[in-house]
Amino acid sequence: MSPTDGTGLVADAGFAFHGWSMATAAVVSAACALVGSFLVVRRMSLLGDAIAHAVLPGIAVAVLAGGRLGGPLVLAGAVAAALVTVWLTRAIHESVGLAEDAGAGVVFTSLFALGVVLVTLFASQIDLDPQCVLFGILELAAFDLVPLGPFLVPRALVTAVAVLGLVAATLLATWRLQVFTAFDQAAARAAGVPVAAVTMLLLGTTAVATVAAFEAVGAVLVVAMLVVPAATAELLVHRMPLVAVVAVALAMVGACLGWAAAWWLNTSAAGMMAVVLGGFYALAVLLAPGDGLVARGAAGLGLAWRVAREDWLARIWRAGEKAGGAGEVARPRPRSALERAAAAWLEWSGVVESRRGMVRLSAAGLREAETVVRSHRLWEAWLGRHAELPLDHLHPPAEWVEHHLGAAMRERIEAEMAAGEADPHGREIPREAGNARGQ
Amino acid sequence: MTVAAAPILEFHDVTVAYGRRPVLWNVDLAIAEPCLFGVIGPNGAGKSTLLKAALGLVPVVGGYVRFFGAPLARVRGRVGYVPQRETVDWDFPVSVMDVVLMGTYGRLGWLRRPGRRERDLARHCLDRVGLGGLADRQIGRLSGGQQQRVFLARALAQEADVYLLDEPLAGVDVRSQEQIFQVLAAVRDEGKLVVVVHHDLRTAAEWFDRVALIDMRLVATGPTAGVLTPDNLRRTYAGRVELLEEIGRAVAERGRTP
Amino acid sequence: MMASAPTLAAWPPLVAVAAGPLDAGLTYNTLVVLAGVATVGFAAGVAGTLALLRRRPLVGDAAAHATLVGVGAAFLLTGRRDLPTLLAGALVSAVAALVVLVFLRRIARTRDDAATAIVIGVSFGAGLALLAGITARGLPGGAGLEQFLLGHTAALTAQDALLLAAVSCATVALVAVAFKEFVLVSFDDAFAAAIGRPVGLIDTALVALVAVMVVVGLPAAGAVLVTALVVIPPVAARQWTTRVGRMLLLAGLFGLAAAVAGVLASTLRPGLATGPLVVLTAAAICVVSFAVAPERGWLWRRSTLPAGEESP
Repeated sequence: MSPTDGTGLVADAGFAFHGWSMATAAVVSAACALVGSFLVVRRMSLLGDAIAHAVLPGIAVAVLAGGRLGGPLVLAGAVAAALVTVWLTRAIHESVGLAEDAGAGVVFTSLFALGVVLVTLFASQIDLDPQCVLFGILELAAFDLVPLGPFLVPRALVTAVAVLGLVAATLLATWRLQVFTAFDQAAARAAGVPVAAVTMLLLGTTAVATVAAFEAVGAVLVVAMLVVPAATAELLVHRMPLVAVVAVALAMVGACLGWAAAWWLNTSAAGMMAVVLGGFYALAVLLAPGDGLVARGAAGLGLAWRVAREDWLARIWRAGEKAGGAGEVARPRPRSALERAAAAWLEWSGVVESRRGMVRLSAAGLREAETVVRSHRLWEAWLGRHAELPLDHLHPPAEWVEHHLGAAMRERIEAEMAAGEADPHGREIPREAGNARGQ
Repeated sequence: MTVAAAPILEFHDVTVAYGRRPVLWNVDLAIAEPCLFGVIGPNGAGKSTLLKAALGLVPVVGGYVRFFGAPLARVRGRVGYVPQRETVDWDFPVSVMDVVLMGTYGRLGWLRRPGRRERDLARHCLDRVGLGGLADRQIGRLSGGQQQRVFLARALAQEADVYLLDEPLAGVDVRSQEQIFQVLAAVRDEGKLVVVVHHDLRTAAEWFDRVALIDMRLVATGPTAGVLTPDNLRRTYAGRVELLEEIGRAVAERGRTP
Repeated sequence: MMASAPTLAAWPPLVAVAAGPLDAGLTYNTLVVLAGVATVGFAAGVAGTLALLRRRPLVGDAAAHATLVGVGAAFLLTGRRDLPTLLAGALVSAVAALVVLVFLRRIARTRDDAATAIVIGVSFGAGLALLAGITARGLPGGAGLEQFLLGHTAALTAQDALLLAAVSCATVALVAVAFKEFVLVSFDDAFAAAIGRPVGLIDTALVALVAVMVVVGLPAAGAVLVTALVVIPPVAARQWTTRVGRMLLLAGLFGLAAAVAGVLASTLRPGLATGPLVVLTAAAICVVSFAVAPERGWLWRRSTLPAGEESP
């Protein structure tokens, strides 16, 4: 359904039209994202999806009973449907021993089907139709105006603001309880928090938010608005009030961008809003600091670089030791492209001095090499002491652990050993760089 | 010069990591003779991991595991497995007979269905573990000890030469424990190697011929009496090896040196 | 929507002879469509049983919602709107959605439930955007693609129905042949891996079967509700039996009944989508199963004095 299809509405697309539509979409998204933050953290995304579908018969019945879309009767009907869903799912799970998600799947698809049938059969009496139920009618929001004081505002926006207020008030009032339960349910229960009540409250709030979103984007896309901004926020920040704040911000921006994109591409606003939110998520997966794919790749490369560099320095040092403590040794041959690059970099930056096929470690290079060899030999000593391993088994594990032993750990290993003790092969363990005497 | 036969089961410098975090470090263990062999250690110390590494269920990042001198893929038919009981959904709609028949699938291959021979074998295995009359019962309607014995019967139906059992006595009443141990001893007496991951030191001292003490690494191994000394037990159970755990975490976090 | 009945002249001569004095295409067409839908329902129940046993009953949900993108894209790219083309597109996008799902879980390390919800919401949104864009532009032949949302069989030709039936039969045949492997992996995948079975491959095959059935079920139930056809019959069947083979068969029969009843019911009134009616029938069967089935049903447990063994 688009602004130029057969409803005869020609786009007198002035500021008011876009403004109202975006405002409605943004408020609706904000309410959903706020609730969704808790749902996602509590791994209840599925339940959010279920409620979004299952409220339909509740809404249909309420409207049939005379309620107004967005009025209190409809909100009550939605909450009732949500509670029925949860109750039925639990009942199935307990009496039938079926996995929770199978039960949820049975319940919410059945209820949704029931809702669609009701809406279709009583289409003449209800203001809903299957199109609206599935796509939402955000595009018409700007034309359904009600008086609010001296102004004319879209009814959908009034509903959305009321819902946002209700949702925010409920969650803020129980904020600490909700956060506690979300992050550690067992501890919350042990601390006397009425976990069941808190959860019911959250689910009821979800139902209410769903109702507002229903009109805007239709049943199926409500799940996108509940889950995607919150999931994106979780990738970017990790503590609770921030997650909710970022989720709401992303949702509002996404809603406006989605509307604009839908207008520009001449297609469904609901669909484009979901797509834009999905785009944000994809960007976060790529670019999130720390957890994002780019960050992880960079960290992996950084580690590989450091390992190559340390290996190179340690090889030169060992060659020197074997030659009886000589400072200058023949340049070894790099064993990989990365090692070749690391060697070149070390020579260019002066850590390794190179001259006519011979190399020598600078003071800085010497310190670094001795640290690595020290880690290696300490680890061999530790392994030899604590694990029944033959001598030839000690070198390979030390080869990779040597890069991960920090100064604190080295101290702890050394504390176990006698002063001046050698490694299991009888070789001397280099002293900690910067210490006047060993140990 | 005599060539020694390959050990029945050999772990050579085996290191296992979950993700990037090592949980078993450089385990060197060889079992040359058929016996009743216990793998003992604290919870979470890597005992089950050791077994799973042998079966290829978790990847080995260093070293190798061999059965009769060959990699598992070549001798799968000779290795039987009893996984932990909690991994299974006991509400699954299968009968005891169905489960035991699964032990024959290895030899049957993909397309053949179990026939007379397989059913007779399954019934024989059920008799051996004392569940003779229960072939048609749905598995959810068994006691813990009975469920464990169904798993054992399934392994016996594999007609293997080495049996690896992961905590077969967890949550089982004392009488069933005795029964199970008797069956295992009988299997050992037939010349098979039986390796059991076990949690209880007292029964371990009673039943096993040889043991290995595992706490993220091999602490000690050998005949039971010589290994289960207070000194070894202290090294295994008291004072967990924080150093290993910390390094494991450091490696997992990509080289953040502690 | 007007059903476009193929005239007998469009059929191969053999069929024309057999149809004989029947009042031409309309009756024949309906029968074939019903038979096709019945087969689809049966196969969907069978495939869904495997998924339920593997403890992943909603694996088809993401695939189902993603099919819309494929339908729209297939139309845009080829300009054709015959069923095979559209369903081929649906299959491609369903598989793509499952690949994305795996990527999100394994590589992006998203939580399972959130990943599914994200794929469902975003792919459905993309599909809606695509279809709405097609409608808005009034592209020739673009009208009526929304039928894939809630199901619509009145426009199915007998040829289409035969295609659906053939794919469904292939699915059932595969399950019959590899039956014991699916059960083995679903029951105890650690043991299956230990005896050398490629558990990953079998799991992929299972998910692929569900994806195929979800696509094939689109005309009958629509993208939004087709997972119900895969989820509900096995749940109902579980109440009646404790043997896997019988559970598969029963689930197939329940799926068949739901599909046929739903399609027939939708002819009672013009404009009724088939999907919701198929699902309601399945749900009714499920409710009856919960209530009445021996040993597990509620009524049964009420009337039996607590004795001996309690099913867990």
